[in-house]
Amino acid sequence: MEQFLTLIGYQRWILHVLLALPLLGIVPILFGSPRAAKRIALAVTVVEFVLSAGLWWALNTLPGTLQLNFSVPWIPAWGISYAVGMDGISLTMVLLTTLLMPLCVLGSWNYITERERGYYALLLTLLTGVIGVFVATDLFLFYVFWEVMLIPMYFIIGIWGGRNRLYAAIKFFLFTMAGSLLMLVAILVLAWRVAGTTGTLSFAYRHLLDHAGAVGGLAPWLFGAFALAFAIKVPVFPFHTWLPDAHVEAPTAGSVLLASVLLKMGTYGFLRFAVPFFPGVALSPWVTNLILVLALIGIVYGALVAMVQPDIKKLVAYSSVSHLGFVMLGIWAATVQSVQGALMVMIGHGFSTGALFFLVGMLYERRHTREISAYGGIAKVVPVFSLIFTVVALSSIGLPGLNGFIGEFLVLLGSFRTQPWAAIIATTGVIFAAAYLLWALQRIIFNRLDKQENESLTDLTGRELIVLAPLLAGILWMGLYPAPVLRRIEPAALRYVETVRGALGRYDVSQRPGELPR
Amino acid sequence: MRPLDVRLPLDATLALLPEILLCAGAMLVLLVNAWKHRTAADSRLAGWIALGSLVPSALALGWLWVGGARAAGAPFMVAVDAFRFASLALILVATAATILLSLGYLEREGLLAPEYYSLVLFAAAGMMFLAGAEDLIVLFLGLEVMSVSVYVLAGFNRGSIFSAEAALKYFLIGAFASAFLLYGIALVWGATGSSSLAQIGAVLNGPGLPLLAKLGLALLLIGMGFKVASVPFHMWAPDVYDGSPTPITGFMATGVKAAAFLALARILAEGFPHAAESWQPAIAALAIASMLLGNLVALAQRSLKRLLAYSSIAHAGYLLAALWPGTQMGLSATLLYLVAYVLTTVAAFGILAVLGRGGERDVSLDAIAGLARRRPWLAFGLSICMLSLLGFPGTFGFVGKWAILASLVQERQLLLPVVLVVTTLVSAGYYLPVVMAVYMRDPLRSDAHEGAGLPRPAFVTVALAVGLVLLLGVLPSGALASALTTAGSVLRDAAIPLVGYGR
Repeated sequence: MEQFLTLIGYQRWILHVLLALPLLGIVPILFGSPRAAKRIALAVTVVEFVLSAGLWWALNTLPGTLQLNFSVPWIPAWGISYAVGMDGISLTMVLLTTLLMPLCVLGSWNYITERERGYYALLLTLLTGVIGVFVATDLFLFYVFWEVMLIPMYFIIGIWGGRNRLYAAIKFFLFTMAGSLLMLVAILVLAWRVAGTTGTLSFAYRHLLDHAGAVGGLAPWLFGAFALAFAIKVPVFPFHTWLPDAHVEAPTAGSVLLASVLLKMGTYGFLRFAVPFFPGVALSPWVTNLILVLALIGIVYGALVAMVQPDIKKLVAYSSVSHLGFVMLGIWAATVQSVQGALMVMIGHGFSTGALFFLVGMLYERRHTREISAYGGIAKVVPVFSLIFTVVALSSIGLPGLNGFIGEFLVLLGSFRTQPWAAIIATTGVIFAAAYLLWALQRIIFNRLDKQENESLTDLTGRELIVLAPLLAGILWMGLYPAPVLRRIEPAALRYVETVRGALGRYDVSQRPGELPR
Repeated sequence: MRPLDVRLPLDATLALLPEILLCAGAMLVLLVNAWKHRTAADSRLAGWIALGSLVPSALALGWLWVGGARAAGAPFMVAVDAFRFASLALILVATAATILLSLGYLEREGLLAPEYYSLVLFAAAGMMFLAGAEDLIVLFLGLEVMSVSVYVLAGFNRGSIFSAEAALKYFLIGAFASAFLLYGIALVWGATGSSSLAQIGAVLNGPGLPLLAKLGLALLLIGMGFKVASVPFHMWAPDVYDGSPTPITGFMATGVKAAAFLALARILAEGFPHAAESWQPAIAALAIASMLLGNLVALAQRSLKRLLAYSSIAHAGYLLAALWPGTQMGLSATLLYLVAYVLTTVAAFGILAVLGRGGERDVSLDAIAGLARRRPWLAFGLSICMLSLLGFPGTFGFVGKWAILASLVQERQLLLPVVLVVTTLVSAGYYLPVVMAVYMRDPLRSDAHEGAGLPRPAFVTVALAVGLVLLLGVLPSGALASALTTAGSVLRDAAIPLVGYGR
């Protein structure tokens, strides 16, 4: 496989093709008939996925640094280039995105009946934007993608969303923009301060990373600006209030993409930019404690609030707040296992929460309500649906053998070494997760079948099974045999830990995962 | 091309060829009007002649610019440098767009008085003198020629009480501002013995300013502050913008504002380059006040026209922030932002002009709801304009904002960038609802937007402007490079570092 990829020069063109293909796909969608839109979108996203799948082998053995680097000047007067690259972290995120996208198109197949061309064109724009965020290695380019992907999501929520969609859309937009604008200033200050010491004005990631020390006393402020942008996106408590609104009002595909991919952009930003640029600030006791406390509040508070939601979609939305708290904990514990665990949670959450949103959407398409109390005992009527729902819910809880377990276990294991108390408190989040999901399962699927409307529910159609099958396969595969995934993210995690700890001067680079710290 | 000695009649004529040809065009329009001033066709004819008379002016400008015309010896009366040529080009673009937008609009509104177009041309000539002035007296003359023409244009809708109100208000406040400016010129002359910017700069070559010069500069700033509608001299702007015929509102927001800013940039860069410490706090205060107040008050507007009026106050704040550094980066950011702002605003007012009737005072967010369903391209254009005004990546407005932020950060100024981005966030609170209304809400009536179609000339203008906003937003490299060299032409003797890295 690797020889074949090298033969066709895969490494040279793949990232550009992944970025350009969805944009090219928009043209036939906009000028074709409305009925053809979803077919074109499906074709484009499937091709995109097939093409991106090669990355899995192309980046098989990684040294942990950015690979497939490519850079060409874009706005030379300002030191801005079109620069892309990829490591294990971006690899998994890009693959997650490209895998979910065709499923989102399929999941919207019958749900979106109005202005279809616009909808699918926006989905494809979003695809380019998200991939761009994960592969950009120039901070200007990163910022452009980061902002640009706001627009499609804003429209997807605002046009095809639920009753309260206008409010949710503008809240989503303003929250994200609030953080990113300050990040824009921080990027500029960083670049100009680095230019002041090195004599080169450049927004290249490597260049800024190597000389980020030039900012001196401004580091806490710059870190704060970056961290705010990413914390809103994650979202870290108390910046999470946009999330339930956006998730609940968005159409199914929008919720799936929001939860599975867009939230990861925040944690990705921490891993790629905020912490490595300013490790001295990020891992200072004060900031560490603050972030850990917020992450723990997120874990526990998200779970507790999820428990009392009467609306299934809101329940899933709040569960994201809880899960992403684990990721933040893993990132800040800064051991190889905890970071690997954080990445596994990011991937696993993408699968299981994505699947949950799809399932909720399917239920909603049948009954047009998401109230938990409107269901009950539907296992008898829709057995296949109930089986899948149960498996996915269990994976979200973190049942061993399913994907959720690996990530959360690694995070807890890794962070117990450096932050034992935080790990202990976080463990309660796993228990709460079991509580809210099992309770919801009981009320929706089990109990007595006492509502007449539920008796005529139809089970999953073939199309819906096709949507869920890849996610289920991923859930099982990553739960039973996570080694291939772990192998690909380990070098990046190791490198992250080396970078941040190395900068702090209290990490022995020779230490391998699995060994106890000094 | 040989250097032009503006003291010689022939060379002065050559250097002023764009202005002279434009004035000749304005006279020609008046002459034709003497015989043809009755029907709609006559009005149209006047419009096309006016548009045609921009061509020789633009050709002359191109000849000067491409030929690399420069002044022999010390600058005198009128600048002969790339910065002036760029300014003139921008003014010509704004004028051409105004004429094109007016062609269909005047007929629709029944404003058939063909002298309209000669007034537009005279105003444009005034702007060109204002933006290219190398001497405060020329600057004042240009300002008055421009202002008087625009006073009349603001009140051009004689049937509308609001138009009359706009004209009167604009005239009174404008006269007031001119008095400030004139007094400022007198004081600066008293302090330096000259009204020539180059000589003022040569005399005031220390870091501090004598009291008289300081006072004069303050009055100059107040006078220009009125013209660019910066807080606290902005009170006239919303009512005047609201009451004037929409193409003229666009003309005021683009041409007048651009000319005044370019003149202010030149005053500061050539007349007071060494006294930055004296004027920077004042500029910063005006900028912050304009950004804050303009954006916050715009949040409360329901009428699109008033919303754009307040947003133009906010944009005056951004542009003042761009003037703050006084460096090559700063001047190039001013130019870039002005180009972005002019293109975007032209398109926005062009679209607004077809969304309503009778001055478009009642085009509210509710009235444009659901525009995308019936007029998808209008909705698209309007949304791009809003995003560009917001400074969203992918549009030229973002490049302009980035340039401003970069020029400020380069000078280690952090307060202005932070205020700028925070107020930008506030501005999302009123730009986005426009996008939201056109795309995400349903029309109020089933026959809404039936009549909203751009006449052909307006369509071409809007399409070109929106296209450029997008194109330059993605590929800004060429514009950036030329803005930098252009800005450098003003700072010929000041020791300002080239772009690249911070001091």
